[in-house]
Amino acid sequence: MKLTPSEFPAIADEYVLGLLDEADKVAVETEIERNPALAEAVAEARESFLPLDTSVDPAAVSPVLWEAIESRLPEQGVSPSPTAPPIAAVQPASPMAAGNDNARAGGVSSGWRAAAVSAIAASLILAGGLVWSVTRTVDPLVVAVLLNEAGEVQAVVEDFGNDTASIRLLADFAVPADKTMQVWTLPSREMGPMSLGLLEDAHSTTLHGPALPRPQDTQLYEITLEQAGGSPTGRPTGPILAKGFAKLAR
Amino acid sequence: MSAVATAETEYSQTGKYSGREDALALVTDQSTDLGAALAACAAGDRSALRRIFDEEAGRLVAMAQRIVRRRDLAEEVVQEAFIRIWTHAHQYSPERGSARGWIYAIVRNRALNLLRDGSREDLVADDRLETLQDSEQLEQIMAAWHRLDRNSRLKECLGRLDETRRRGILMAYVGGYTHGEIAGRLSLPLGTAKSWIRRGLLSLRECMA
Repeated sequence: MKLTPSEFPAIADEYVLGLLDEADKVAVETEIERNPALAEAVAEARESFLPLDTSVDPAAVSPVLWEAIESRLPEQGVSPSPTAPPIAAVQPASPMAAGNDNARAGGVSSGWRAAAVSAIAASLILAGGLVWSVTRTVDPLVVAVLLNEAGEVQAVVEDFGNDTASIRLLADFAVPADKTMQVWTLPSREMGPMSLGLLEDAHSTTLHGPALPRPQDTQLYEITLEQAGGSPTGRPTGPILAKGFAKLAR
Repeated sequence: MSAVATAETEYSQTGKYSGREDALALVTDQSTDLGAALAACAAGDRSALRRIFDEEAGRLVAMAQRIVRRRDLAEEVVQEAFIRIWTHAHQYSPERGSARGWIYAIVRNRALNLLRDGSREDLVADDRLETLQDSEQLEQIMAAWHRLDRNSRLKECLGRLDETRRRGILMAYVGGYTHGEIAGRLSLPLGTAKSWIRRGLLSLRECMA
C-alpha cells in the first residue's frame, strides 16, 4: 500500500471499513499522527458511514455493565499542560490507534494512557540522559525515553547510529521463562519495525543490531514481550511493554 | 440522551445530509455535548463518562453485537472501549472529527480486534443458542441500510450501487467481515471481491461529494 495523498480517500475508506490488513492498518495509524491530510480523510470517511451505526436499535443495557466499567476506571492524572513537552505531543492521538496497542495479544490492559501525565517526568529523565550521555566519550545520536501505557518511565534507549544501541531499563519487568524482551525501532514506514535485538534476562545491555538508517528525531522505539528467541515473524507480535519517541542528542 | 437524539432525528428528517462537509459540520454540532463530556472525562469527572454511557451505550452494544454477534462479547467490547475512552479522552480534539465518531470508532476497533483475534467460526461454534446465525446476521447487515433515513445521502448513494457492491461494503462496515469472508459469502474470487468493493467505495465517495 502506498500512502500517497491522491490515495488518501480510498485508504481512509478501507481503513474505516476495517478492510486493511494488519501491516497497512498500522502504517495508516502511524501516518495519521503526522499527516493531517490523512487524519482528515479518515475523519471524513468515519463521519460518512457513522449513520449506519447511530441508526441501530439500541440494546437494553444492564446497569451491571456500567458498574463493571466504573470499578475498572483508573484515576485520571493531572490535566495535560497546554505546553506539553514533545513526547506528549507525539503520542498517538487515538482512536486511529485504537486497535494498535497489541494489548489483546498479551492481556495487557487497554490503552497507552498517556504521556501528558508523565511527560514532565520523562523530560527530566531525558534531560538527565542527555547530560549523562554528553559526558561520555561516544555520544548517541538520539535518546528515547520509553514509557509504559500508564505513562511511567520504563527504559532509556540511546542509539549511536553505528548499529549499536544501549538500552537502560529503569523498571523491573516480570518476564516468563518462555518469553523474552525484544527491542524495536521504526526507521521509516517503508522499512517497518526493525529488531535491535533481545534483552536477555531483562537486563540493561548494549545491542548490536542490523545496519539501519541514521536514527532520526521522533523515531519510534519500543520493547515488546516475545516468545523466547525473539519474534518468529521478524515483526513485533507481543504486547508492548514500553515505547517512546527519540530526540536528537544535541 | 434526549437532546442529542432529538437533534439527530430532526436532522435526518430534514434530509440535509447533503455532503461530507455538511455532514461533518452537522455531526460536530450535534456532538457538542459529547465533546464537552470527553473534556470533562479528561479532567477526571466520572459522571461525564456516565453521561456518555447513558447516551450511547445501548447503540454501542447493538453496533458491537452486529460485529461480534454475541451479546456477552459485545458488552465486553463496550466495557473495554469505555475504559479506553476514559484513559484517552484528553487526546480527542475536534480536528479529529466529531466526538461521536471518535467514540464509535473506539468501540468498532475493539469489536474488530476481538473478531480478528479469534476466528469468526470459533465465535459461532462457541454457543449456538446465543450466537446470531449467519443468515440472521446478513439480514441485520442489510437492515442497517434500510434503517437509514430515506432522505439521507448515504442511503441514496448506497442505493445507487449495484447490489453486490452494496452488500460487500455493508458486510465490511456493519458486520466486520474481511475481504476473504465477503468473497466467500458472495461466491466471488478474492481479487474480484476486493476490486468490486474498491470501485463501490469510489462510486460512493463520488456520490457523497
